[in-house]
Amino acid sequence: MHLAISLNIAAAKGQAVLDFGEIKTFVRAAEAAGIDMVVISDSAEGLSSSPFEATTLLASLATVTDKIGLVASASTVAHQPYNLARRFASLDIISHGRAGWHATMAQGPREAANFSRPEGFSDTDFRRSEEYIGIVQGLWQGWDADALLFDKTGGRFHDPEKMHLLDHKGEFFSVRGPLNVARSPQDAPVLVLSGLTEADFDIAARTADVILLESGTAESAKTRFDDLRRRATAAGRDPDAVKVLTNISFAPDDEPAASMDRLETQLRAKSCDGFNIQLPAQHSALDDFADRVLPALRQRGLVREGYRGATLRSHLGLAGGGDQ
Amino acid sequence: MTAQMKLGAFLWATGHHIAAWRHPKAHVMAGIDIDHYIQLARTAEAAKFDMIFCEDAAGLREANVGIASQTSRSIGFEPISLLSALAVRTSHIGLVSTASTSYNEPYGLSRTFLSLDHLSGGRAGWNLVTSASPIEAANFGSTGLKPHADRYERAREFAEVVTGLWHGKAPGHHGQSFSVRDPLDLPRSPQGAPVMVQAGASDVGRDLAARTADVVFTAAQTFEEAKAFYDDLKERMAAYGREPDDIKIMPGVSPVVAETEAEAREKHEELQELIPDDVGVALLSSYLSISDLWRYPIDGPLPELPESEGMKSRQALVVEQSRRDGLSIRQLARHFAGARGHWRIVGTAAQVADELQARFEGGAADGFNVMPSYFPGELDAFATLVVPELQRRGLFRREYEGRTLRDHLGLRRPA
Repeated sequence: MHLAISLNIAAAKGQAVLDFGEIKTFVRAAEAAGIDMVVISDSAEGLSSSPFEATTLLASLATVTDKIGLVASASTVAHQPYNLARRFASLDIISHGRAGWHATMAQGPREAANFSRPEGFSDTDFRRSEEYIGIVQGLWQGWDADALLFDKTGGRFHDPEKMHLLDHKGEFFSVRGPLNVARSPQDAPVLVLSGLTEADFDIAARTADVILLESGTAESAKTRFDDLRRRATAAGRDPDAVKVLTNISFAPDDEPAASMDRLETQLRAKSCDGFNIQLPAQHSALDDFADRVLPALRQRGLVREGYRGATLRSHLGLAGGGDQ
Repeated sequence: MTAQMKLGAFLWATGHHIAAWRHPKAHVMAGIDIDHYIQLARTAEAAKFDMIFCEDAAGLREANVGIASQTSRSIGFEPISLLSALAVRTSHIGLVSTASTSYNEPYGLSRTFLSLDHLSGGRAGWNLVTSASPIEAANFGSTGLKPHADRYERAREFAEVVTGLWHGKAPGHHGQSFSVRDPLDLPRSPQGAPVMVQAGASDVGRDLAARTADVVFTAAQTFEEAKAFYDDLKERMAAYGREPDDIKIMPGVSPVVAETEAEAREKHEELQELIPDDVGVALLSSYLSISDLWRYPIDGPLPELPESEGMKSRQALVVEQSRRDGLSIRQLARHFAGARGHWRIVGTAAQVADELQARFEGGAADGFNVMPSYFPGELDAFATLVVPELQRRGLFRREYEGRTLRDHLGLRRPA
């Protein structure tokens, strides 16, 4: 089973924010427990505050952890695709192959207002999102894994045959490439998608490595899971190449045992590949999770005993992780 | 105590010399090795440098793939993620990254730098550049390169929005290029605001710097050029109600230093020998913003050039040097390949310190951005040979005065 923890570091105005040391301690605890990845987001719809933006925080966390996957949310409105591809390719090298990009398909009005799009969003935005994701994933493949030669005496730093232009000309973007960051140690950063509507299911099945789905009834979860796997197959992918995680949250007064029963039931019903545990960025929530929930997960054998591989793709059982 | 100079450690891939990566002692895998950068940052911090400086371009440096594959500059870390990683592995040194106003949005960029500032406890800085490269333009739509003046108009508006956001204002900005409604959702900077660095040396570039910059990075070969730039920029500041001390001017310097002058010369020659002719000429072409320099005889003089939309000020510098010294294309290419048009000093620690002292005390610089030829060797050499010499002369700090980049630079904290 795969387990992710989503941590939204945006705190309501007036509430105490987490400092770097607290976030680091928590992520290390999650790493000690064998969690596949933490997904960090940094914005809320209303007024909020946190000292950090997600991608920069991720870079810092990468240097103080060794194994756990690190995923940051970044918006397709806030960045140009070339810049976003560069940032995550770089994070992936900094973390030695543990980085992922979380792209949400749901657009916030706040972003439109602050990123020079006062007119807001339009009906074509899902087409824009798919084009954007295609560019980013294409740029991540611009350098073959063996492109760098480092041949000092021969004067050949890289093999020009193994560097590829993207030459993308689409409806919304035109990007020549290649990226000026080397190939990922895990083939490509992991793409995590969330906030899907029914209309986004095909895009997700074509492009995502991990899909985060809202929890619903056990039956609806099973239906969506099977539906996504069918669409992945129809898109020519191995259905196991897309991992579907169901969002869950634990209220502080939940009995851990009852919560664990809930997870096990869903897994037995094969309604997902695992879970994405959503946590608010509050000291009490982090402490509660580390003290009560993590031990219960371990006791039930729901998290692995240690990591077998070194990359996020390896934790998730995805191709390209370096230990297939 | 006499005034002390400011020092930046300009980190770039395998080194600033175009053939650095081929040097036996250069770390050839620098562009994919984060531990290498952590080590460089710690070396610079132990030597009490004010800051680390990273350049940036959103694309390849060189369009000709054959040329590009003979240099190490096609791959490297994206600098904001790099410096964010270094932020929690260092404690004092300033962290300055370049980012372009041409292909970013002010709300997102100001937020990212403020986050770096919080992660580092008030040590972040932004080097504002506009993008002049058609290679970069091709990665951001098909509209092509904007004229010089338009790029700077966008940069001016960009800088104004960023400064407002860093100062905690709700911009309600609806301008020519940008529209931003809300204040940033991050707390104020631990140093008041991240440090604003600029490098443009053209007329509009200087005006923008005089108005908004805290630090200015420049290229100047001779004392006279450096002095003229320094005086001109400090004079322009008055028009914006600023004191001359509000900007630290730090020209780039590319030293090759060793125990003896002979060793230093030998080390420099060894690097020069590693430059392939086609690479040197290509690099020179890109500085001159012309694509067909290879058509001219390599041992002949530089041809007459049309004025370019690219880097106007740097082009003038290159042409002037060539005429002054009567250099052939090959000679000029080799000369510029080494230090990229920056000032180069080859010699002992005392000789390097003499030169730096003369420009500092002569009122041509407030400090220097040190551009080591190759890494880690030449940064180590500067840290262990030149820094102690400057400290002995009372020209450089022995301990950090404070914790933030503004503290180190002696800059006012914005209200």
